[in-house]
Amino acid sequence: MQYTNSPMLDRELKKGSAELLILSLVEVRARHGYEISKLIEARSDGVLRFNVASLYPLLYRLEKRGWIQGRWVEKAGQRRRRYYKLTREGKKVLAAQRSGWEEFVAAINRITKIETA
Amino acid sequence: MTSWKEEIRNRLADLKLDPVRETEIIEELAQHLEDRYAELLSTGMAYPQAFRVVLAELRDRNLLATELARIEGPASERVVPGARRKNMFRDLLQDLPYASRMLRKNPGFTIVAVLSLALGIGANTAIFSMINTVLLRPLPVSRPEQLVALNNTSDNRTFPSFSYPNYKDLRDRNDAFSDLIAYRFTPLSLSHDGINERLWGFEVSGNYFSALGVNAALGRMISLEDDGAPGASPFTVVSYKCWQQRFGGDPAIIGRDVIVNGRSFTIIGVAARGFNGTEIVAAPELWFPLSMQAQLEAGRNWMDARGVENIFVQGRLKPGVSYAQAQASMNELAEQLEREFPNENEGKRITLSPPGLIGNSMRGPVLGFAGLLMVIVGLVLLLACINLANLLLARAAERRREIAVRLAMGASRSRLIRQLLTESVLLALMGGALGLVLALRLTALVVAFKIPIDVPLALNVAIDSRVFIFTLLISLATGVLFGLLPAWQATKTDLVSALKDDASFGGYRRSWLKNSLIVAQVALSLVLLIGGGLMLRALQQAQTIHLGFNPERAVEVSFDLRLQGYEDARGREFQKHLLERVRALPGVQFAGLADSAPVDLHFSRDKVFIEGQPPQRNMPVAMFNRATAGYFQAMETRLVQGRDFTEQDDQNAAPVAIVNETFARRFYPGEDPIGKSFRMGSPESPQRQVIGVVEDGKYAGLNEDPKPYVVRPLWQSYSGSTIVIVRAAADAQKLIASIRDEVRQLDPNLPVASRTFVERMSLPMLPARIAAWVLGVFGMLALALVAIGLYGVMSYAVSKRTREIGIRMALGAQRADVMRLVIGQGLTLVLIGMSIGLVAAIALTQSMKALLFGVSATDPLTYAGVGLLLAGVALLACYLPSRRAAQVDPMIALRYE
Repeated sequence: MQYTNSPMLDRELKKGSAELLILSLVEVRARHGYEISKLIEARSDGVLRFNVASLYPLLYRLEKRGWIQGRWVEKAGQRRRRYYKLTREGKKVLAAQRSGWEEFVAAINRITKIETA
Repeated sequence: MTSWKEEIRNRLADLKLDPVRETEIIEELAQHLEDRYAELLSTGMAYPQAFRVVLAELRDRNLLATELARIEGPASERVVPGARRKNMFRDLLQDLPYASRMLRKNPGFTIVAVLSLALGIGANTAIFSMINTVLLRPLPVSRPEQLVALNNTSDNRTFPSFSYPNYKDLRDRNDAFSDLIAYRFTPLSLSHDGINERLWGFEVSGNYFSALGVNAALGRMISLEDDGAPGASPFTVVSYKCWQQRFGGDPAIIGRDVIVNGRSFTIIGVAARGFNGTEIVAAPELWFPLSMQAQLEAGRNWMDARGVENIFVQGRLKPGVSYAQAQASMNELAEQLEREFPNENEGKRITLSPPGLIGNSMRGPVLGFAGLLMVIVGLVLLLACINLANLLLARAAERRREIAVRLAMGASRSRLIRQLLTESVLLALMGGALGLVLALRLTALVVAFKIPIDVPLALNVAIDSRVFIFTLLISLATGVLFGLLPAWQATKTDLVSALKDDASFGGYRRSWLKNSLIVAQVALSLVLLIGGGLMLRALQQAQTIHLGFNPERAVEVSFDLRLQGYEDARGREFQKHLLERVRALPGVQFAGLADSAPVDLHFSRDKVFIEGQPPQRNMPVAMFNRATAGYFQAMETRLVQGRDFTEQDDQNAAPVAIVNETFARRFYPGEDPIGKSFRMGSPESPQRQVIGVVEDGKYAGLNEDPKPYVVRPLWQSYSGSTIVIVRAAADAQKLIASIRDEVRQLDPNLPVASRTFVERMSLPMLPARIAAWVLGVFGMLALALVAIGLYGVMSYAVSKRTREIGIRMALGAQRADVMRLVIGQGLTLVLIGMSIGLVAAIALTQSMKALLFGVSATDPLTYAGVGLLLAGVALLACYLPSRRAAQVDPMIALRYE
């Protein structure tokens, strides 16, 4: 099973950006794991995909670092689910990573555009 | 879904995760897989294929196990059934943070629990610290365990005093004690720096300080040389406290002269700090050699009289001599003395006792009172424990699922009980710490309370290591007591129903336990409240007791001329002058002098010999007093018959007396008592004629039956220690200063004591007042605990019956029906508890009769009032949960669970 449609992106993007993806998705409101995986898949038009074995270790690691916080929530008519939300520290990390990422992408863009132009 | 869980569990098996964490992970992942599976099916994929895809994602390159191993790490300890003991300490370290987390998570519960425990434990600690002071803490002397008090026993009577000649013989002839010391309480009037004060001192034998091993803080102590020739050693040693408080810690105090009882004494030393004599509750301020007895007690010489028993004796056991050996050897001596001096020593034996409670004479009352207090505070603590046990039972039911999961994961039951006990003991320790603070406050309050008696009570109540250990132990015991039962119950869970979160079962099966705890609580608090209520009624009743005098607007000023060295003639002169001057003061309606005044703990009494009646073996006795003209008017005691004393009823006139109605009725039944004669004390004493009859009154206690009472004219039988009693026209308090001023003008060195009669009356009321306070405060405390407990149990019952209530309402039950159902359930428990409490109260309050001032121990008003109060509080405690029950929405309730 592959994570992305493009093997080249696979490792690099995963390692560097997976954290950023998750932090961004729980920034506005708390979400559960399945919802996060679906959102990543949908918003990347299927380019990026996480399965159970790759997503949860990542969530647990972020939680351990104190960037996100999981909480069991029971909603009427549903089984309880674990929702993750961004912590105060996570917000700072997200801001830092976001600007770092933008710089990185901009740099890549500049390089790749010159090469291909 | 189960198969997903099984799959996940297999993947995680090697990680050895903490069981709770592992359960969470499995639940979360299984949900994800289930969602994914449903998603695949919805795309039209066939079941077997969807299953294979999901499984493959789970197994993906074993990512899950390798990543989680890095993040989660293995559990610090595997909870394995059977693996016990060796892990105990590690378990505790693991349990403590968990326990404190659980307590933080429920702050409301924690606060209620800690507060009620603090009250219970604090009360126990306060009482114990007083018992510790009086009964357990040794006297501040060297090797206190060797010190014993000697008690004089004859005819089943034990008293703590010996005659001086007997003491000397015992001291010189015994071989059981390395030292035998003698001391005697003596009232003093001390004059220094222009101040006159009345206080208490000890006259002591020369070996007193050396035998006790008490050293001087300054100067030297009284030694054997000071106890030589009578009158040759006018020296005194002052206590450290006296030095600090009365002499301002003057470093040059040694060698200073002070006037004591009208004679000059030189201060030779200051006793070591903290040494307050050889009695625990009564602290002398000055010590004198016994050789100065005649100088200190003018006109009384008893040092050579073998029949006058008025010194206390303590001895230091020789090393290796046991208590029993010493007692046997002292009794051989007592038999010798009996043979040598049969008149004075017939039948007398010696018993030994721990020192410090006036021989052994106060041990019984002190033990009785302390025991009663301990029982009461013990009951209160028990109530608090029952409450907490109930709260924990309710909470345990909420944690059934958590506990079931842990049991299912392989935790042993004993391990879980230990975990739950850690929580309750932690609670108890927090309560104990707060209780210790409360106890400190409480004892400070008690020590600051001045008991209105003329004896230097010195209760040095302090929290020492013994009190600290007591508090620690009682806290631990409390924690185990209220925690064990709920922990036992909580872990006796039916795993299957608990894991299914089927809450409606176990709760009911356990409710009989909670219910009987509530019943016990109600019964206990009813007993305490009825005790308190009876005491309040008694205090109320005491206001209506016929005293035979009027304490309002009356004052007394007392002084002892004998201490100041006045002979009889000079004393009489002084008293007459003073009375004239006081009567002339503005605002004084009447004034009289008397030997003593009611109500006093030790009122004099003597035998009565009625003219014309033969002497009997057991002569009747009467209380007696001596007074001048004006006394009855100042007291507002009504003269029923005959005449009052006049100034002419003196030594030159015929001996007369005024008696009370009971005296007249008892000794002259059906006759006119006026003009009749009797003798007092002995058949040889002069005949007295009855000249008047006054109304009955109370003399030695408010609770006494009518007693015969005789008053003689003071001018006919002199007393050096007298009280001026003044009836004020208006404000009595204001008169005191001007009366004291008159005394000062007649003798600037005479110490006087003064108070209003209302203040005097506070002493006979004191035991009832203390009892009312103790029972009232603890009763209200118990009531509060009952309310909390009942509320907790009823709320819990309502929450567990939500579904049932919903069904009832769906089937047409009205709100009022639901409320009636809930309140009825609560009140049934309360009524059962009240019936049990009622029986117990009727049995227990019989012992309070002596304090009740004529209020019946089964006073219906008290029982009804307390019953209504308790029922009202119980109703309120049930009403709130019942209202919640009535607000149940059937639709929501039926979806509940």
